[in-house]
Amino acid sequence: MPAPYLALGLAGPHLVELTGSAALLARWDALPAAFTVLGLDRVEGSAPAGQTLDSSAVGAALAGRTARGRFLVVASPQRDHPYNLARRVASLGHLSRGRSGLLVGVRDAYAGVDPATPARAHAAARAVRALEQSWPYDSIVGDTDTGILVRSNEIVHVDLDGEFPIAGPLTAPEPPTGASVIAWYGPGAVSPGPVDLVIGEGGSVPVTPLGATPPRDAAGVLLRPALGQTADELLTAAEELLAEGFRPVGPGSLRAALGLAAPARRAGGRAAFPVPQPNPSLPTSRSRS
Amino acid sequence: MTDRRAGHVILGVNALVLGYLPAAWQSPLLKKDSFVDPAYWETIGRTAERGTLDALFLADVPLLSDPAHDANPIRLEPTVNWGHVAAATERIGLVATASTTFNDPFELAERLLSWDHLSGGRAGWNIVTTRGATAARNFGLPDVPLRDDRYDRAAEFVDVVRALWDSAVTGADVSHHGEVFALDGRLRVPPSRQGRPVLLQAGGSPKGRELAGRVAEGVFAAELTKDKAIEHYRLVKRLAHAHGRSPDDVKILPGLLLTLGSTEEEARRRNDELHDAGPAAYSVQWLSQSIGHDASKLDLDEPFPEDVLAAPEDPQTFQGSMGFRESIVAQIRRTNPTVREYLRQTRYSGSGHAGFVGTPEQLADHIEDWFHSGAIDGFNLQPDVLVDGLEVIADELVPLLRRRGLYRHDYDTDTLRGHFRAAAPTPRFD
Repeated sequence: MPAPYLALGLAGPHLVELTGSAALLARWDALPAAFTVLGLDRVEGSAPAGQTLDSSAVGAALAGRTARGRFLVVASPQRDHPYNLARRVASLGHLSRGRSGLLVGVRDAYAGVDPATPARAHAAARAVRALEQSWPYDSIVGDTDTGILVRSNEIVHVDLDGEFPIAGPLTAPEPPTGASVIAWYGPGAVSPGPVDLVIGEGGSVPVTPLGATPPRDAAGVLLRPALGQTADELLTAAEELLAEGFRPVGPGSLRAALGLAAPARRAGGRAAFPVPQPNPSLPTSRSRS
Repeated sequence: MTDRRAGHVILGVNALVLGYLPAAWQSPLLKKDSFVDPAYWETIGRTAERGTLDALFLADVPLLSDPAHDANPIRLEPTVNWGHVAAATERIGLVATASTTFNDPFELAERLLSWDHLSGGRAGWNIVTTRGATAARNFGLPDVPLRDDRYDRAAEFVDVVRALWDSAVTGADVSHHGEVFALDGRLRVPPSRQGRPVLLQAGGSPKGRELAGRVAEGVFAAELTKDKAIEHYRLVKRLAHAHGRSPDDVKILPGLLLTLGSTEEEARRRNDELHDAGPAAYSVQWLSQSIGHDASKLDLDEPFPEDVLAAPEDPQTFQGSMGFRESIVAQIRRTNPTVREYLRQTRYSGSGHAGFVGTPEQLADHIEDWFHSGAIDGFNLQPDVLVDGLEVIADELVPLLRRRGLYRHDYDTDTLRGHFRAAAPTPRFD
């Protein structure tokens, strides 16, 4: 089987360290890793570290400050609603040019004691996928002859019920690179479902502590520094592993880098808007319109 | 109020995606998907920074209206959108709108402070309560709560957020058990260069203004006439004073819809062409929503009936903005136009937010007049088409204001709060 790809898992203090250093960011951006998890410690069951940053805020900064590095933002739907989360995920997909995805966990260590169950996390993952797909990118036409910007009749409500009832559609189109990759942390992923990738126990991407010998028989390996280790040390180790036989992954979207097919679209769906008509102007005669 | 004020105005730009007019997307300077294009947003940020502007604003509602003919309803998530622009800029302040009705205070506090830290202290939060059942249905609710209940939640939400931002500095847990929220915990986000994000408020209802007087450092106001603007300016400054704050702690920044040209005639032609290229229903729908009455049922060639102007049927369930409604009704009462005349007149004079169609010199005159009249601390400019409108602001309006001593020549401060504090103090009034 081919050599595994390399992924990185950053904890809170590493996010602060990485985003505080232009030199580290440049090394991170040049590293041919598959992806980096922005705040793995949120969802892996450990106690919160002394410092962290919101995962999507870090993703937005990376989208603007780097050109190649890919990343997963981390979320669990304890406090936040999937509609808000889906907006951030889709926005990152556009602004990073497809370099971003989402890692869903059951419980966020930093978020306190609100309800957290695998069923709730799954419902959130389903909602994010459905919402991202509610507005096909191809419906953007920008036709100045008819005055039609978007064939908005192709946009659909998601009409989700259950844990998170959501009407939809989303406030932005699907990224041109397709619906964002959704990863799941640890056991409990439900198939079939929206999850493209499972990280950790029971998944195709085992987590290896930085300093241990990583397995070579997996699709990918996620390298995870301890809190006492730095992002600098992690990048150095990753650079060495990639020079020693781990499979480098070149620039491109996260979905393409992982060789994942575009997810299937939900069938049907209630049209959110009527078929747009060529654009009439404000009436100037006395007749009532 | 004829005394000359010392110091400079605050200049913000409200992005409104591609510009405030629905036909903005048809500009040959744009691609069909510029509204989600990272290069477009980076250009907006860099152009604003070239003009040493104080802040870029982004409005928001968590719902999609029909984007068939108009990019304005299309919204990237504001903290992510501005987080990306922050990474491409160094000095410009960035204000993201977020709803207290459809967010969680812990999650939002952590996200805003993180973005503030990452941007080097340039983040602001425009506090809104969000109107309408369409948004509610994206969050599993049949409708939004009543207006007063939304503002009660907003007030407590903001208190929790501020306490959590403090906790990031002190390291002490917040223990909050209030009417709406119960929370024990703290943030572990490093403080930002400006300490914590700047708070802004946009509503014109009594409870909205009360919130502004108590906590906001900026008010994104809706003013159509200078007299009303002066009255509201003093009202909010007095509210701030009543809460033990300096009037200088809250900056008043009305929106100003903008079409600029090298002559007034050219500006009017540009405005007409953009209106004619956009959907007619836009004006009627906008008016209906704003006054709480179906404007398509009005006779276009008759003046507005008194009962339509008097009041929305129920202020608690009225879906529009009370501040917008008040400014629109005041404007209609001044000239008693027919509905058609009003819809055409608002092309040039604005509706809800004031409008301005003219040359950069005329706009500089207008800003100077309102500034020295004690009606504003600055304006939040809303160009018809952002991509070239912003260039005219940066390259023509700003140099004019500098020559008049109304604007700084370079950034003297590097955080959003710093920009606000460096602006002119509040003029004296009784």
